[in-house]
Amino acid sequence: MSISEADVRHVAMLARLALSDEQITRLQGELNSILGNIEKMQELDLEGVEPTSHSIPLRNATRPDVVRPGLSRDLALLNAPQAENGAFVIPRIVGAEEGA
Amino acid sequence: MAKDRLAGVLERYEAVIGLEIHTELTSLNSKMFCGCPVAFGGEPNTRVCPVCLGMPGALPVPNEAAVEATVLAGLALDCEIAPFSQFHRKQYFYPDMPKDYQISQYDLPFCGLGHLDIEVDGEGAKQRVDLDGGPYATRIGVTRIHLEEDTGKMVHVGGSEGRIAGADHSLVDFNRAGTPLMELVSEPDIRTPEEARRFAQKLRLIMLNLGVSDCSMEEGSMRVDGNVSIRLRGETELGTKTEIKNMNSFKALHDALAFEIVRQADVLDEGGRIVQETRHWDVTAKRTSALRSKEEAHDYRYFPEPDMVPFEFSAGWIDAIRARLPELPDARRERFMRDFGLSSADARTLSEDVEFAAFFEEAVALAGTPLAKPIANWMLGDFSAYLNAGTVALSDAKVTPAMLAELVQVIDAGTISGKQAKQVFTEMAETGDAPGAIIEIRGMKQVSDTGAIEAAVERVIIANPDEVASYRAGKTTLIGWFVGQVMREMRGQGNPSLVNEILVKKLG
Repeated sequence: MSISEADVRHVAMLARLALSDEQITRLQGELNSILGNIEKMQELDLEGVEPTSHSIPLRNATRPDVVRPGLSRDLALLNAPQAENGAFVIPRIVGAEEGA
Repeated sequence: MAKDRLAGVLERYEAVIGLEIHTELTSLNSKMFCGCPVAFGGEPNTRVCPVCLGMPGALPVPNEAAVEATVLAGLALDCEIAPFSQFHRKQYFYPDMPKDYQISQYDLPFCGLGHLDIEVDGEGAKQRVDLDGGPYATRIGVTRIHLEEDTGKMVHVGGSEGRIAGADHSLVDFNRAGTPLMELVSEPDIRTPEEARRFAQKLRLIMLNLGVSDCSMEEGSMRVDGNVSIRLRGETELGTKTEIKNMNSFKALHDALAFEIVRQADVLDEGGRIVQETRHWDVTAKRTSALRSKEEAHDYRYFPEPDMVPFEFSAGWIDAIRARLPELPDARRERFMRDFGLSSADARTLSEDVEFAAFFEEAVALAGTPLAKPIANWMLGDFSAYLNAGTVALSDAKVTPAMLAELVQVIDAGTISGKQAKQVFTEMAETGDAPGAIIEIRGMKQVSDTGAIEAAVERVIIANPDEVASYRAGKTTLIGWFVGQVMREMRGQGNPSLVNEILVKKLG
């Protein structure tokens, strides 16, 4: 399996990344090289090994349902490029779904 | 319009409906992955922290009560509880979601296949043209129940009526962001808008009984989306489905699905094709319309949430949650029918609401099981009317189970008449005084002493010789007039049936 230029453009679009043609060519090469490494690992005999997404043998890590202090509103809005009436201001949404 | 045409459309087409129901776990103290409080409304951005604002480096940790509530809901719906489950990241961009991904569950949800049995009666039962039109019960499959986090809320500024279209800019409030959100997906087993409504209503009752959510469709703590397609009757292949959003009441759910079924039939009848799309219910215009959205298919690129380890529920842990299951409305209804001899309909109404059912049971416990039926009648009659008419909630009502028990006891003992009892009830609901006190103060005691009634009857007979003659000559309809005279003589306190009985005897 290899990644085409179109794959790179699609993934970039999904991640809202504006990439130049040169960047796309470079990333296509880098991503294919990563995939190559994974293909190499596929050669290992993994018969009987369960797939896993986490490497630590820990399960059911939760916290009790207790309220803890958060941020004050002023602090929460400190990094906002723009705030209005205690809310984050975002630009007009074009062509967006309504009621999502 | 759609409703009038629905019957005709359903003669030819079968609708296939599945629901996705989101329920906020509003009864919890804190959010899904952080310690911010769960609440409705309030000043914008006053219940936020680095986790629910999606700040880099913040570490979300699942709320154990939310996990337990989801498993509890799964057990209430006979779902399989997954021995192994985990959270996934669902990636998409929207301004009300600060991390640009939502922590949700993908292929390993907490709860798998289950079901919910619904009953359909009344007019809505006729929508099933393949059945006889009478009441019926049917089982709707539950595909899964999973847990995720809710998004923030946006207010659109400028333009008209706070809608996105034409808005100048928008304001984002993250108070709701991160609220524990349970999503139930039903199997496409629903065949009519009425069945969809009944399913959602029953699910709401169960969630209320479990005490996990306030399930307010108005405030959005319960949100229902529907997937609907139609096919010619007899066809086995599924048609193309559309997804309907923004149905903010049970009526809207019913009407939107009815509209959409008729719309799809019109498209097919004109030789057109159904486009798979998301449609928005406009409650004012009473129609669904396609949402403007990009052509690309959704590509959420789910992957296991690296910040959270998986869950493995042991049989013992699941049993401990199962032990917390309260009695659910169906079981309570059957018990009310069995133990108190109530009709199916009365038992259903009494058993649906936890507090209402508890009130009934407490009153029955005080008055005795033989008086369960009259207590049920008062609760479903005058008491319900009182609660529905005013702004008084059951928990704030001045009437207590002990007062209602006393009222049915004094009626049963013949101390007051049914008519007087209604006055006593009204007064007791207003003042909170016990029936005994009201009867005493108002001098309402019904006289069942036969000696006193006989004396009054004698006085009336002596005072009205002409009427007595007419009655004895065959004008027996005068009995009502005589009863009235005796009651007046007794200042309204005579036991009417005894008065009647004694009058007939003395006049005859």
